[in-house]
Amino acid sequence: MKELLKELCLINGISGDESAVRENIISKINGYCDYRVDNLGNLICFCKGKKSSDKKLMICAHMDEVGFIVTYIKNDGTLCFGEVGGIDPSVIIGRQVTIGRNKISGIIGSKAVHNLSKDERKASPKTDSLYIDIGADSREEAEKYVKLGDSVCFDSEYTELGENCIKSKAVDDRAGCTMMIELIREKPEYDTYFVFNVQEEIGLRGSRVSAFSVAPDFAIVLEATTAADIDGISDEKKVCSLGKGAVVGFMDRSTVYDKGLYNLAFDTAEKYDIPCQTKTMIAGGNDSGAIHLSRGGVHTIAVSVPCRYLHSPSCVINLDDLESSFNLVKALAKRVHEL
Amino acid sequence: MDLKKTVFELSEAYGASGNEFPAAELALDMLKKYCPDAEMVNGNVIGKFGVHSESKLNLVLDAHIDQIGFVVTYITDEGFIKIGNLGGIDRRLLPAQQVVIHGKQDIKGVICSIPPHLTKGDSKVLDFDEIAIDTGMKKSELEKIVSLGDSITFDVKCRSLLNDRITGGALDDRCGVASVLYALELLNNCKTKYNVTVIFSTQEELGERGAKIGAFEINPDIAIAVDVSFAYAQGENEQKCGHLGKGAMIGISPSLSREISDILINTAKSADIPYQLEIMNGLTSTNADQYSISRDGAKACTLSIPLRNMHTPVEVISLADVNYTAELLASYIKGD
Repeated sequence: MKELLKELCLINGISGDESAVRENIISKINGYCDYRVDNLGNLICFCKGKKSSDKKLMICAHMDEVGFIVTYIKNDGTLCFGEVGGIDPSVIIGRQVTIGRNKISGIIGSKAVHNLSKDERKASPKTDSLYIDIGADSREEAEKYVKLGDSVCFDSEYTELGENCIKSKAVDDRAGCTMMIELIREKPEYDTYFVFNVQEEIGLRGSRVSAFSVAPDFAIVLEATTAADIDGISDEKKVCSLGKGAVVGFMDRSTVYDKGLYNLAFDTAEKYDIPCQTKTMIAGGNDSGAIHLSRGGVHTIAVSVPCRYLHSPSCVINLDDLESSFNLVKALAKRVHEL
Repeated sequence: MDLKKTVFELSEAYGASGNEFPAAELALDMLKKYCPDAEMVNGNVIGKFGVHSESKLNLVLDAHIDQIGFVVTYITDEGFIKIGNLGGIDRRLLPAQQVVIHGKQDIKGVICSIPPHLTKGDSKVLDFDEIAIDTGMKKSELEKIVSLGDSITFDVKCRSLLNDRITGGALDDRCGVASVLYALELLNNCKTKYNVTVIFSTQEELGERGAKIGAFEINPDIAIAVDVSFAYAQGENEQKCGHLGKGAMIGISPSLSREISDILINTAKSADIPYQLEIMNGLTSTNADQYSISRDGAKACTLSIPLRNMHTPVEVISLADVNYTAELLASYIKGD
């Protein structure tokens, strides 16, 4: 799974521009299932299992990542941008980025620290005061390489960290995509719909339409979720911790999760001895928000990999947690059909 | 010499202030091609260029080899590394930066970033004592590799931008080191007007400390500090900045020798090498400030390569300026 995760994380695909990610995923699952791409770009796969059941189960993850879009080119050749998804300005300044299909290199700089006033040093800059420098001296020159509407992604290395952690951009939610590809290739026990969604980061938009077309009875959302188990944070505010297994929350900002599935998830984790934890704060949200309210309602649960520094160029996860999440989803999917 | 390759190699080498060894060793290796007897003296890399004679004035070319970074001050029970700063660092851009910790072996880490659900939209910038580094390791494992006092640098690969421009993490002042090396290459086999000594000095970012002892050691008549200075970018004061691609910035300041400034200006003019002026009103905050008052004093001047986003992982320079700086140094040394 590690190599697959690396390959997927390094592909650029902000919300609304997921095609490169989708094409790569199709190349991985082709021959293992039936699939189609809908009007928004969601990749909807149907995988025939060894058995059929009267319950329709959908497992999904989102393909898009947070990033930026070029909104204006100034006379001096610098690029103005908008954020695509929620990104804190403190993880935007001082980074390398790549722009557009031709992968033009750029940087997001800022006034030298020597020239900042005392007050300026103490406050994060506003995102709309930042710009991208690609080395161009004029708008005409920049326009030869960059167009308005071009996607911008963090230029960030995938690297191993410590004993069993990795650091990369876009772990949210290529971790989920990785688990789904593995599940498809392993062939599920029961017939299952696997959906790779678009536009999660700008408001759970892909999953809204794919949930409508699939019309599942049950849904399991695979995600990366925020872990704040870092220095100086008290236990109750850590939300969840790396190395403590799959995260199954009871509630977040978008969803109160199905009680039956929540209990089944922890029961399954206990039964198969899979590390599993819940969230200690009501924080974050994911495609469950759109899915559980689809049509007349869908029994929905999310299984997430705890991830530090979510929505930054340096997301950090523990690969043991990825393994635990994968094992939990696999076992849980089977038990949902046998409910 | 492939100038771009040299700048990339030097800039990607590690050498935080007080811990310059890997970068200094690389620079020493590069310098030996031109100064075979070059050696490390108390951390500084020093080499004599060509044959020195009593009849010529002693000239030193200085570029500092250190870069800004951090130092390990504590390891918490949870295995997070607490840090202090080496040099002036913009704390606003630290969250989620990738770094390398130079322990018994180099290991990678990420500077902790507090997630938005805990900051409540507050844009407060953390103080150094609130900042920690995540290595993904437990304390017991970490302590086998990392000791208090180990240095830490940003983990940045150089990238080419448009227009001959380069971005990287330690261009301040490895681009200065590269331009000094390139000047020596341009001088190969030429007669020099001065006895030239090169020094790649340590601890500039902590207050020009390597240059202070280097100046005593070398005892020059004339000193040129080849460093970087502010290049204009959005948000900067244009009156106080040079411009990328328009040549080395020749310093003029009450603390510098106007005689040397004028010679450099005239040399640039007659050799048709682009240059800019950098007018300062006192100290220059470069190593020139040390050479001018070492022993019985020296005539000092600054040649600065314009650079954007100073002391960040995304510093930007124009390779053309590194080239112009080398050409100006070479012409000056030949006495053109």
